[in-house]
Amino acid sequence: MNPVLGYIAIALVTAATALIGFFGLRFSRTTSDFYVASRTVKPWWNASAIGGEYLSAASFLGIAGLILLQGSDALWFPIGYTAGYLMLLLFVAAPLRRSGAYTIPDFTQARLESTAVRRITSILVIVIGWLYIVPQLQGAALTVRITTGLPAWIGAVAVAVIVGVVVAAGGMRSITFVQAFQFWLKLTAIAVPVVFMLLVISDVPSLDPMLAFPIELAPSTPDTYRTVSLLVALLLGTLGLPHVLVRFYTNPDGVAARNTTLIVLALLSVFYVFPTIIGLLGRALAPDLAEPAAADALVLLLPGRLIPGPLGDAMTALVIAGAFGAFLSTSTGLVVSLAGVISQEAFGGSVRGFRIAAALSIVVPLAVSLLASPGGLAGSVGLVFAFTASTLCPVLVLGIWWRGLTARGAVAGMVTGGSACGLAIVAGATIGPGSGVISSVLAQPAAWTVPLAAAVMVGVSLADYRHIPRGTDRFMRRLHVPERPTIPAP
Amino acid sequence: MIGPEQQPVRPRERVTAPEATTSRAEAREGPIDIDIDIGTVYVRSLVRSQLRLAVACAAGFAVLLLGFAASFVLMPDLGSLLVLGVPVSWLMLGFGGYPLVIGIAVIYVRAARRNEAGYLALSGSARRESDGDPT
Repeated sequence: MNPVLGYIAIALVTAATALIGFFGLRFSRTTSDFYVASRTVKPWWNASAIGGEYLSAASFLGIAGLILLQGSDALWFPIGYTAGYLMLLLFVAAPLRRSGAYTIPDFTQARLESTAVRRITSILVIVIGWLYIVPQLQGAALTVRITTGLPAWIGAVAVAVIVGVVVAAGGMRSITFVQAFQFWLKLTAIAVPVVFMLLVISDVPSLDPMLAFPIELAPSTPDTYRTVSLLVALLLGTLGLPHVLVRFYTNPDGVAARNTTLIVLALLSVFYVFPTIIGLLGRALAPDLAEPAAADALVLLLPGRLIPGPLGDAMTALVIAGAFGAFLSTSTGLVVSLAGVISQEAFGGSVRGFRIAAALSIVVPLAVSLLASPGGLAGSVGLVFAFTASTLCPVLVLGIWWRGLTARGAVAGMVTGGSACGLAIVAGATIGPGSGVISSVLAQPAAWTVPLAAAVMVGVSLADYRHIPRGTDRFMRRLHVPERPTIPAP
Repeated sequence: MIGPEQQPVRPRERVTAPEATTSRAEAREGPIDIDIDIGTVYVRSLVRSQLRLAVACAAGFAVLLLGFAASFVLMPDLGSLLVLGVPVSWLMLGFGGYPLVIGIAVIYVRAARRNEAGYLALSGSARRESDGDPT
């Protein structure tokens, strides 16, 4: 691949991101602006921003790579990533917006009237955010290595520096514009090359369909436990993702929060069509890339292979730009929400504290990504979802819908779910895929760790019923009572 | 500002604990106790109806998804029928799930808004009757 294409694409995306960020900076002057854009963002903008933030390296590169590598099992990933927003809509969106809290720790503290719960939630949010940023930086490393031939670490460091500067300079207000732009960039960057590829494939020799789509990798032979567990993780993990939830506070009211989520579902559904097509094309046209080290680069390499001449070069530059946009946008979203939590926890919520916290939020995952060896992008993001589903999801859902939740129950459930899920993932990685059922149960733990966490939360809360927070009824009212329409009374 | 004249206020706080238990009993038996205000009853009923709606939608989605997955196992012919060089079962799994998701989301958003409108109408009329503000 011509490295000039890579340089140009990466430079353009970076410049565009920085420019939009600094335009937004003119508006963001107060602390409240820094955290949630003063809640003045319209549903379409907001939905684009949520989509831009959500579509990470795992969506842009990982899904196509996994379809190439694992076949139809991977087709469940985009469905799960999308349906996660359905669960968010059903159980969380409007009440969480009405809670009026800035971050997940703010919410749990206000609901359960306990600083201990706040501490644990903050730690979980920070760990989840860090774990989620790592695959983004690894995706950047892969992209830079494949497209420019430079050493991989440069990609990770470049993304970390850009994200740190943009977040520290602009805060959330400018981030909303950046993220909305990023969604449309990513959609264009994957849709246009797909259209051109579909126009030319009749001229390209392809693999026999029965070899490209073998029956043992087809949807008719599912690994039932793994599929169910993956779906539990993806569906419920979305509820607790820190960078997703913070976006809902920027809706003006609960009804707008629901409408925003509906638009997000439509945007994601449109987007995921394209990586899926690339994955299927890859199975038929690029079977030589079907190995763990190369599969995640399928989206970057396929357009150049199929489309000849300068048009192919242009399409390659476009997908590189989109991929880089994905790393930047998800990482900035995560860093904003992490910095919000860290600065409130450690620096008293000042603007200066926010900037220090932003630096901290990106440096730690950068170090991890440079030290750890990269796994498959979609798979490692899937594990973060499993961890989130086992910790933050139960406390949010029970906190919103069940009066009986107590602080002790929440802490017990989060600690149980978090340690069970964390230990299972580590153990699963240690013993490897060879041991049949046990490997599956450990490597894909959400199907049992989520119910376990919820059961502990409910059980301990029931035993602790004397300590139901006094303000529960008042808080539940705030969560569920619709904002009164601003029509004057007759 | 804590002066000795505020001492007698403290025992009153303990009264709130038994109150919590009466409200539990009352949640089962209905609003017969005058202590609980009508607003709280309405809010709890709103929460219950919204939760019922959300769980029903989630369960519906799970059933549809299960049926979707089962159809590939039950109809293995879908795996050998090719459209544009790709087996139909792969195409269905790759592109067919999104309409389900969006359909259920639209149904939910409408029904949730209806529940809330019902609550507003109910609490508005209760407010006019009792002349007290339930919110």
